[in-house]
Amino acid sequence: MLAEILNLRKLIVPIVVLGLAVIFGLNLLDWNLNKSFFNDMLRVDNFSVAFGGLAIFATLLVLIMSGDYYQKEQGYISDFTAILIFILVGGLMMLSFANLTMLFLGVETLSIALYIMAGSRRFDIRSNEAGFKYFLMGSFASAFLLFGMALIFGTSGSFNIYAIAEYTANAQGNISPLFYTGMVLVIFAMLFKVSAAPFHFWAPDVYEGAPALITAYMSTLVKVVGFAALYKLLTVVFFYTSVKTGLILNIVAIATLLVGNLMALAQDNFKRLLAYSGISHAGYLMLLMMASQEQPTGALLFYGLGYVLSTLAAFAVAIPVFEAAGSEKIDAFNGLGKKQPLLAASLSMAMLGLAGIPPFVGFLGKYYIFTESLHAGFFYTTLIAIISSIIGVYYYFKVIVAMYGKPGNDQKVTFSFTYALVLALTLALSLYLGIRPGAILNIF
Amino acid sequence: MTSDIVFFLLAAISVFTALMVVFSKSPIYSVMWLIACFFSIAGHYVMLNAQFLAIVHIIVYAGAIMVLMLFTVMLLNLNKESEPHKSILSKSIGIITGGMLFLVLLAAMRSTQLGPYSAPETTDVGFVQKVGMKLFTDYLLPFEMTSVLFIAAMIGSVVLAKKERNI
Repeated sequence: MLAEILNLRKLIVPIVVLGLAVIFGLNLLDWNLNKSFFNDMLRVDNFSVAFGGLAIFATLLVLIMSGDYYQKEQGYISDFTAILIFILVGGLMMLSFANLTMLFLGVETLSIALYIMAGSRRFDIRSNEAGFKYFLMGSFASAFLLFGMALIFGTSGSFNIYAIAEYTANAQGNISPLFYTGMVLVIFAMLFKVSAAPFHFWAPDVYEGAPALITAYMSTLVKVVGFAALYKLLTVVFFYTSVKTGLILNIVAIATLLVGNLMALAQDNFKRLLAYSGISHAGYLMLLMMASQEQPTGALLFYGLGYVLSTLAAFAVAIPVFEAAGSEKIDAFNGLGKKQPLLAASLSMAMLGLAGIPPFVGFLGKYYIFTESLHAGFFYTTLIAIISSIIGVYYYFKVIVAMYGKPGNDQKVTFSFTYALVLALTLALSLYLGIRPGAILNIF
Repeated sequence: MTSDIVFFLLAAISVFTALMVVFSKSPIYSVMWLIACFFSIAGHYVMLNAQFLAIVHIIVYAGAIMVLMLFTVMLLNLNKESEPHKSILSKSIGIITGGMLFLVLLAAMRSTQLGPYSAPETTDVGFVQKVGMKLFTDYLLPFEMTSVLFIAAMIGSVVLAKKERNI
């Protein structure tokens, strides 16, 4: 914003990227800190540092791309950059909250900034629809979240998450039913944010309508942060009571897996396809939520990282292809394998990563998730998850088939340096973690 | 017990006005009922010793936001004819889901034994000074973060409303 006054728009993105890189480093320095700040409003522990690092990393990659993506809209770049940073701030609040008010503020900061970004193509009716739909549905979910928190506060007498956990531990068997109602309402609101079925209806429309870069941001950072916050709720706040939600989470997980994978089969729009793929990935992560009593933090982080890497790599290829083709259908990729084999190979790698084929990170992520949920004793749900991940392979291959098997026009895709940088970074990390998962998995 | 009578009176008014907001045919009437609803809720705040909150509630909601809403309603020129008609199916789905939530809440309320209400030791909890002290010491971070939230919203509204200019 300041830079705009000085007419230094070109410098904004590099400066912000540099700043984020510094923050990423500072964040890692807080490892093993385990301290609460501001009268127990924020708690910095290894959980928040790890997921915060992931969130900052995702923002970093998106921002690197944003310079080229918003080339035609130079006038807005400072505003958009600022809003992206606000989304990150909201996400970090959601990760390190030690007080439910902070969780609510984080969710709201993240969502309100996202409503704006989803609707930021003002002259595109689909973008308008996306922003408006997201706004209406999101404010409804926020109301649920707030109501649930009020009920929890009313019964436990505190907003502090550790005090609430203590209340549930001490009052075992004698917890007010209103507390459970509040708990379920809060969990539902979070499930909405991560677009788990049956709260997923907004996701495909919003993902399709929003600008592609924002879709990439929404489907990576927001989903991972949402799941991390839900996981923190389940493991800290509701640790003694979340057993009762087992059936609900189980149903939601199965529904999410089936809806995500089956609906994705019928899509011909790439962004919509990735939206449904995001829903199905939410389903796999739901398995971890069900197994939250076992504390599978490492698996959650690993899968989240793998998902972020693969999705961002896919978008780094897809955005320039869309711009060249002027369409966001899967057909836009036709013939890419002959024109630009390197690009096509990268996208194939990203797709294989999402589908969970070794040696990419997605495979091990899924493997750890299935192991954890089997450990926790959810045999049938895991079986459904495995079947649906086989279904998933089909629609990811649809893109690959389009690239290599179908003839396309000869139009060259201009692929700028920043996209290539993001692509190289994500794919290299994805491969590295696929081969040596221990670096992330055993971090806790 | 006068406070009981006042409470039930206020509660009845708020429920009635809230229902009228939904059932009124004309949007203008809805907005008017909403103002009445806000005032009765402010009454509840006063009864709970939260005078500051009550005043702010009236100023912000009944004052600023209502004026904004009235303007919006008038500018949009909503009337009965332009109201979209929902199909019976979506109506019944709404009724069923809403009714289920209502049922759950009702059941939870019924089986809850609320402890005896103990009045706070001091009656000045809701005054500006006390609220301010809390806000700037214990709840400093949420307070500051609210400003981040607002600045995000403000930038957003400017971005969405800004005139397209050629660069």
